[in-house]
Amino acid sequence: MLYHLIVLGCQMNISDSERVRSVIEQMGFTHTDKEEDAHLLGVLSCSVRQKPIDKVYSRIYKWNRIKAKRNVLTFVSGCVLPDDREKFLKLFDFVFPMSELNDFPKMMKEYGVASPLSLQTTDAEIKIEDYFNQKPVQSAFKPVKIAAKNSKTTLPSNKDIFQLWKTQPNYQSDFEAFVPIQNGCDKFCSYCAVPYTRGREVSRPSAEIVEEVVQLMKTGFKSITLLGQNVNSYGLDCENEILFAQLLEAIGKEGEKLNDPSWVYCTSPHPRDMRRDVVESIAKYKTLGKQIHLPLQSGSDQVLVKMNRKHNLDRYRESIQYIKELVPQATLFTDIIVGFTGETEEQFQSTMNSFDEFKFNMAYIAMYSPRPGAQSFRWEDDIPKETKKDRLKRLSEKLENISLHYNQELMGKEMTILVRTTERKTGYLSGHNEGKIVTRIISKDPSLIGQFVKIKVTEVSGFSISGELVENTAVNSRKTIEAKV
Amino acid sequence: MYHNIHKIEKISHLNDSTFILQIERRDLKFTPGQHLVVGKKDDKEFRQYSLYNGINDDYFQILVKEVENGLVTPKLKNLKEGDEVEINGPMGYFTLSESTRKNLPVVMIATGTGIAPFKSFVVSYPELDYKLIHGVRTAEEAYDKELYAKDKYILCTTRDDKGTVKGRVTDYISTKTFHKDTQFYLCGNSEMIFDAMEILKEKGFSANQMFAEVYF
Repeated sequence: MLYHLIVLGCQMNISDSERVRSVIEQMGFTHTDKEEDAHLLGVLSCSVRQKPIDKVYSRIYKWNRIKAKRNVLTFVSGCVLPDDREKFLKLFDFVFPMSELNDFPKMMKEYGVASPLSLQTTDAEIKIEDYFNQKPVQSAFKPVKIAAKNSKTTLPSNKDIFQLWKTQPNYQSDFEAFVPIQNGCDKFCSYCAVPYTRGREVSRPSAEIVEEVVQLMKTGFKSITLLGQNVNSYGLDCENEILFAQLLEAIGKEGEKLNDPSWVYCTSPHPRDMRRDVVESIAKYKTLGKQIHLPLQSGSDQVLVKMNRKHNLDRYRESIQYIKELVPQATLFTDIIVGFTGETEEQFQSTMNSFDEFKFNMAYIAMYSPRPGAQSFRWEDDIPKETKKDRLKRLSEKLENISLHYNQELMGKEMTILVRTTERKTGYLSGHNEGKIVTRIISKDPSLIGQFVKIKVTEVSGFSISGELVENTAVNSRKTIEAKV
Repeated sequence: MYHNIHKIEKISHLNDSTFILQIERRDLKFTPGQHLVVGKKDDKEFRQYSLYNGINDDYFQILVKEVENGLVTPKLKNLKEGDEVEINGPMGYFTLSESTRKNLPVVMIATGTGIAPFKSFVVSYPELDYKLIHGVRTAEEAYDKELYAKDKYILCTTRDDKGTVKGRVTDYISTKTFHKDTQFYLCGNSEMIFDAMEILKEKGFSANQMFAEVYF
């Protein structure tokens, strides 16, 4: 029996998908890239923008047309707003929050279908092979049979998330991994609906996180990213848990014991909780990647208040000062929204000025779009699309100039690069340095993918650098290669 | 417990548009300044409300102003004792640390129902060295003003002259001086919060002395 899974949205969904695959495969399904061949079709939804939600609807309409010809099972999980959830209940066979993933086999059984592996013991009404082989007996848009157990309430609950975290993930790479450390958001930024899709902030037990990270380091993973909606709010929801700085320290110490075999990153922190001790930990331990992603969203205090960001420019500036003082080599990434409701040209100019001040290496710049469920959805989206596009363009150009200036300083320098993939057009290898600057490696040797190599930078552009291999051999241990530099 | 269905214990109408909803607390803990996400049971719309009760009360209270044609507040206003709401929380970090409330002067600046978390501060922490500056249109919006010591509560009214002073809270703070160690807590609409922060910055206070909870 085959399954097909579509993953939309952020790294958190990618991380969750590794656990979804694990649970589905434990039920006896095998992955297929071809949705037309699959018996079980699933999508992990994202509610940050409208586009992924439109994709979910597009897929389920297609899948329900398949369902008219043969029996297939469909499910949706991930970030789903209450309003969409109600609509999905009429379209999908299974609708459940990620925190209830481990109940999926039980839900399938309650649906009346045995999973392939449970055929021997199940008391389900229909064996799965019979179900998929029989002619469809239900209309394409049949009512839902199974929803999550929390369906009696509308808001998401995270009380079962601990079970999700205990599920062994089916990592989709053998050198890059995401490790969830925290889920949910209590910040309620006015443009964002995540508190209504992911629920409250809940921290994963630190011992479990450290164990997973150590295991990944020992098995050769080179890039490990600690994930959460608010990673640096880690532990604040618990009475007996360490805080984020101590968690980083614990991971840093474990990295030291293993000769720092990996780069460990985190995303995303919230400026409100970016304390000095967090930056101190990043500075102190070699294992902790010297790249910091700190979403600013706007350079105008007035807009930040309206966004309910719970930080202002001064507080953000203070965090940047810690970074510049303690980890001057760190690259700085951010997120920005342009054209937020009521954003004046002067306020946008403050964001432009903040780029001059903070010298971001990378910024993920989005044009504001109202999200159902978010506070700002009820406000007039009064900035014309052309103005938003213009601001996006101007800010992107500024970013490129700043980034180019930084990259020019790297010319001729030797550095360690993690080789990630091959460029489709040129066939050259592609990867990134410790600061996550995209790097072309002048080599077409695919055996280097997943390895650290040393390069000398020979060319730079706005958002990337390229260089020649200094040593034409893969080096598994980062420590080894750096010792040679 | 992360969220659940809770019964309404009482609803008190303070005027035509504003009311206090008393919700069963059960064993949920909270820190004054935190908020709940509240919606009518089986509804899809929710809003955040700061807790209005004291830490030792065995119930939750929220202070709600009805929004004309709103999706939530008219439904909450029509609730009766024994009806149910879905809540999520308490949550949030708009709270007073022990060292602040024991050692530092606190100035709380609110507009309208933004006074809710400050009432919770005042009734929960009798030792608090505070001034409460409350901006409203008319004096009838001075909810539960008898709870605050007269010398600590400044009512700023814009449409009548029955308050302590006539004018906006921002007009008031711009004319006053505050101790250099004062911690400022601001709760209300975003325009007031931004304007107040600008005034306080001009007076030499740093961002680390200002804490805000925006009401929309």
